[in-house]
Amino acid sequence: MRLNRLWARPGRVLFLGFVIAAYVFLLLPLAIVVLASFNAGELLTFPPQGLSLRWYLHFFNSTPFMVSLYFSLKLAAGVMVLSTLLGTAAALYVVRFAGKWRDVLRLLIVGPLLLPEVLSAVALLFFFYSIGFGKTVGALVVGHVLITLPFAFLAVSSVLYNFDTSLEDAARSLGAGKFTTFRRITLPLIKPGVISGGLLAFIVSFDLFAVSLLLKGIGMETLPIQLFDYVTWDFDPTAAAVSTVSIAITLIMVLLMERMVGLRSLRF
Amino acid sequence: MTVAPRPFAVRGATSIRAAGHPVRVWLRANAALLLVLPTLVFLGCFLVAPYVDMLVMSFRNPSTTSVFAPGYTVGNYTRALTDPFYLAVLAKTIAFGAVTTAICMVIAYPVAYHLARTRSRFRGLLYVCVLSPLLVGVVVRCYGWIILLANNGLINNAVKKLGLAPHGLPLMYNAFGVGIGLVHVFLPFMVLPILSAIQSIDPALEDAARSLGASRARTMFRVVIPLSLPGIQAGAILVFVLTISAYVIPVLLGALKFKMMSTLVIQLLIDAFLWPFGAALAFILSASGAAIVYLFIRATGRLMKGMA
Repeated sequence: MRLNRLWARPGRVLFLGFVIAAYVFLLLPLAIVVLASFNAGELLTFPPQGLSLRWYLHFFNSTPFMVSLYFSLKLAAGVMVLSTLLGTAAALYVVRFAGKWRDVLRLLIVGPLLLPEVLSAVALLFFFYSIGFGKTVGALVVGHVLITLPFAFLAVSSVLYNFDTSLEDAARSLGAGKFTTFRRITLPLIKPGVISGGLLAFIVSFDLFAVSLLLKGIGMETLPIQLFDYVTWDFDPTAAAVSTVSIAITLIMVLLMERMVGLRSLRF
Repeated sequence: MTVAPRPFAVRGATSIRAAGHPVRVWLRANAALLLVLPTLVFLGCFLVAPYVDMLVMSFRNPSTTSVFAPGYTVGNYTRALTDPFYLAVLAKTIAFGAVTTAICMVIAYPVAYHLARTRSRFRGLLYVCVLSPLLVGVVVRCYGWIILLANNGLINNAVKKLGLAPHGLPLMYNAFGVGIGLVHVFLPFMVLPILSAIQSIDPALEDAARSLGASRARTMFRVVIPLSLPGIQAGAILVFVLTISAYVIPVLLGALKFKMMSTLVIQLLIDAFLWPFGAALAFILSASGAAIVYLFIRATGRLMKGMA
């Protein structure tokens, strides 16, 4: 019945066909990677030569991959904490107190998002060399925080713009101190922005490539860099297994965001 | 008369006791500044200072024995702007950015319109699908495209088996492969602004146009698209700027055979150690991008005013 009505309108069919094709295009490389990781054959062929988990076994038994996975997770967790703290505090100031400086500050803090990532990384590399800081874990953390800070800032400030300040006034007039008001009223209300900003910072840091490539020192291979090295020399589906695990970690973060605050809070 | 001054006296006394030193008075009045101070210090040290450092670097004298020689010059800029090789790469990069932006626009508009107007319960899922290229790392995404597009990849294997092209098709290591990778990752930046622009258009306007006898296509082109021009403009600027400065995708999907300005700049800086010249080239690329965005805003601004 509905299909009949649809076929009566060729324009609508064309439109929906185009939209479906666009979604296929969006998901195609991810779907291919996931399918390839379960392929039993040595080479990536189609149709697949049976199901197998051997490439996952290969991944979990590979010391370089496991070391870099662990390093990436630790780095992303640390970066998430730092970016969320800096971004939340900055958003509170910019939205509440900045006055005429608001637009300038916003532009400055969102700056790393507007500037080419690789150019910022090169500028940082030069800068660290000229002040004798070199390629240390600290440099890597600074680079990651620089890129992820705008995400945490934007997520929190978008919540703050829709914030009813009379709730805080009410708490204050009922005798709550500034800190109590912040802890009991402000923080719970901006929590969705803080959580989605933090998780976004984690995802971005976990996947960051150009900054890590330029600022990493010896023994600081993140998972994307290890994967890049592997793909450059080998063509077996271990890389597909690694990629699928990394997609799964991102997916867990997205689901966490959806369960905790709902994806609707991701409005910029 | 004797009672009136008391409150003043009391208030004055407490404020002097609490405030004390003028610095502390100022801090008390601007305590909120402490919220933004760590971020300002961080960005001052690691965003502003490095870029200023690079700008200074671009005016330094080149040297063959160390990274730069003492003294300053504009020679790096004149050299880059008079060399036909660098100008050709710059022109190619900008043309490539324009084409990528146009393709993104054509693909993104129907997707954004559908997402804005659909009442499907899979709306949230579709939204995540649109965002998915941004949520998955660039290496993973490129690896997916490599499996598909490589000379011995899935598509070429299929094509060879079917006997369509005995030597396969050149899908990677050229403008086509890089273009696919870039359109894919920057599509969300085009869809999202257009989506929010369409969401802010009252559907009643479309109903009005239809009930006055306009066809669906006419409603689309005369009502919906003109009203969503601000979203298209924002998306186009984002995608263009991101494309001309893209680095990782051209390296992974273009190898070194398809050269864009950003890959060239990084090659000069990291491999050849030509820091002053590389820095100058980086600023020339950024300035050309900014100039084109400015012209684009002026041109489309006039268009939008004409329609309103």
